[in-house]
Amino acid sequence: MDRARSTGEARDHAAGLLDEAVRRAACPGGTRLPVIWIGTNCSCDNSISFMNTTAPDVWQVFSQIVDLYYSNAFMAADGEAARRILEWVSTAHAGRFVLVVEGAIPVKGGGRYTIVLRTLKQDLTALDVVTWLGERAGHVVALGTCGSFGGASAARPNVSGSLPVSEVLDRQVIKVSGCPVNPEWYVGTLAHLLLYGTPELDDVGRPAIFYARTVHRNCQRRSYFDDGDFADSLGSAKCMFSQGCVGPRTGSDCPYRLWINHVSYPIKVNTPCIGCTNPDFPDGSSPFFTPLPDKAGGRTEAGGRRGPGEAGRP
Amino acid sequence: MKRVMFSPVTRLSGLLSVEVVVDGDVVVEANAGGTLFRGFEWIMLGRKVTDAVYMTQRICGICSQAHGAVASYLVDDIYGLEIDENAQLIRNAMLAADFLQNHIRHFYVYSLPDYVRFPEVPPFLGQSTADLRLGAPETARLMEHYVSALRAAQQAHQILALFGGKAPHQHSFVHGGVAVSPDASRVNSALALAGDILAFIERSLLPDTELLARTYSDYYSIGVTPRRFLSYGLWRFGRHNENLRWRPGVLDDGTLTEPDTGLIAEDITNSWFEPGPPGGEPVPAPFKPGAYSWVKSALYAGRHMQVGPLARMLINGYYSGGTSTMDRIVARSLEARLIAGFLREWLLEIRPGPPPISTGAAPLKQEAVSTVDSMRGALLHWARLSGEDVTSYVIITPTVWNFSPKSSPAERGPAETALVGMTIPSTEQLTTLLGRTIRSFDPCLSCGAHLTYRDGRAGAEVVI
Repeated sequence: MDRARSTGEARDHAAGLLDEAVRRAACPGGTRLPVIWIGTNCSCDNSISFMNTTAPDVWQVFSQIVDLYYSNAFMAADGEAARRILEWVSTAHAGRFVLVVEGAIPVKGGGRYTIVLRTLKQDLTALDVVTWLGERAGHVVALGTCGSFGGASAARPNVSGSLPVSEVLDRQVIKVSGCPVNPEWYVGTLAHLLLYGTPELDDVGRPAIFYARTVHRNCQRRSYFDDGDFADSLGSAKCMFSQGCVGPRTGSDCPYRLWINHVSYPIKVNTPCIGCTNPDFPDGSSPFFTPLPDKAGGRTEAGGRRGPGEAGRP
Repeated sequence: MKRVMFSPVTRLSGLLSVEVVVDGDVVVEANAGGTLFRGFEWIMLGRKVTDAVYMTQRICGICSQAHGAVASYLVDDIYGLEIDENAQLIRNAMLAADFLQNHIRHFYVYSLPDYVRFPEVPPFLGQSTADLRLGAPETARLMEHYVSALRAAQQAHQILALFGGKAPHQHSFVHGGVAVSPDASRVNSALALAGDILAFIERSLLPDTELLARTYSDYYSIGVTPRRFLSYGLWRFGRHNENLRWRPGVLDDGTLTEPDTGLIAEDITNSWFEPGPPGGEPVPAPFKPGAYSWVKSALYAGRHMQVGPLARMLINGYYSGGTSTMDRIVARSLEARLIAGFLREWLLEIRPGPPPISTGAAPLKQEAVSTVDSMRGALLHWARLSGEDVTSYVIITPTVWNFSPKSSPAERGPAETALVGMTIPSTEQLTTLLGRTIRSFDPCLSCGAHLTYRDGRAGAEVVI
């Protein structure tokens, strides 16, 4: 009887070790990242773009990389149940959870241009929620160009006074820009946090592995540029600099990585890069089809918050 | 009487909170509040009008191609550009792919957790389980389909990227046509993906919709709205975008007429706006007493109109059902099947050749209006220029129609109408019932708060 029990225990113990081994192999960090994903002033295009991730796919991200406790797009809970989850995670995982902020933060009108949660007693604005959670998070990730730099939500005349996340929080913000973000930049950043911690950031706070080189530097059409062989219209196979391309001042690995299961990117379909990862997008890129030296991007009336710097030089 | 704030309403685009008043077991009032202001009409001011296609796609992540399409038609018209037949086939194939992306994601990612028990792991913790009726085998099947739906929707965006470079916010479908060359490689890849998507719709989406409709058949009498529908039509062809494959229409209590954009007006009674100076924009007023939404009320001939797949299917005679929560869900799935067939048809009609795009030197007109239906319904862009620069830009999105706040105490928009009168069997089922009906409209509040005010134009093309 003793022998039988010890055999059973041994078998259970072995099974337990196997489970543990499988779990560790599946999740090299030993666990998943607890994530709170808050949508603020944005088009929600990053939520849509995230769903275009292929390897890993969305289901693999949910099961192996993150514990996505709160997300306006994906969570099953709503109403009070969703609010309770938010409060629980902010306490139970305080100091450890990753706060993902998708969108800019309006500060005019008491922040009421974006209200994330309402109760009968109070409205919680994007500013309220991001301030509250930003102080408790282990890491803060600004998702998309609106969250990273203001983006389209803060384009002139910026009626709502929208600011990037980094300007309302006094702490490091990892900026994963793009309009929308390429899902691999986002999932790759989450994976980096899980496996290796904070990634190396470029001079404007973005993971350098994705943004350190310009589109121009790695562009398939660079030989046309070097030969001065420019497109005379959209639809041309030649260099798009004449059609307003801002690849020379846009940090992004688009030419290598491509989009949606690695099939294409804007220059591959005979149109210019419009610099959607840049701190001054979209105002600094417009008019979109006007060559770079003649763009009117400087006429930003929203104020001096946009950094003049850019990731690299041609 | 009890007031309940249903917030956040998750599984949609943007931010929505709905306050209801319940008297006994009946919802007697509903205030659907879009709590996100974006203001793209202000953003468009002073920009070159050819920026409209790329800029206005940024209004919305889930229906970006629809904004890109309607802005392209607008700029085509302003510059008098003639559109090649091949370009129209590619344009419509791209738009169709984005519709399929939307409809598949809406059914599985946004709606299914309202009806099917999900595993108790993030992001599905805290699911309302008050009224889940499917057995274990059916639940398991639907969970498998949830995963394959994620793949099918990604494939739809891959088609969009094959032609458009990326998605959302594609690049090649612009004024003048399409900047990409249709070649055997692109068309062949797109056909393969379209075949997979069609198979998914036939083997999963349609049977799953049928299962939901059968199991939750009481939702054919829940969320019923007045029979007032608007569609601008869909699938523009012709050298001047003048031919529509699906007809436009205003369906009002059995009478079908052509829409007249001159009859569209807006109201800011319950929106966070105050009237601006005479002839000017209304001014955002985030502290306005009594207001509850950044969405304004859109009215057609003084009446609220419902827009979306059900509107298109009814107006085109493809659907003969009612106006309930389940009718909206079923119409969307049936429409997805029709669109998947079109996508294949148009891909097969594309001829190989150079990029079908034309350019124009200068605007031929200083004002234009453009319409097309987006995934969620009627979408309008209108611009006035000085030279090539935008001096006014108006965007009326489908969510402005469906989620109009009250224009007067008695005049509710479609979504609020669908909620009021609902009987709640138990307190724990309140948000379940509300959520199912709200999501049946496929709300997108990123698109919501854009409509700007323009008076002094009575009788002109758009009275805003």
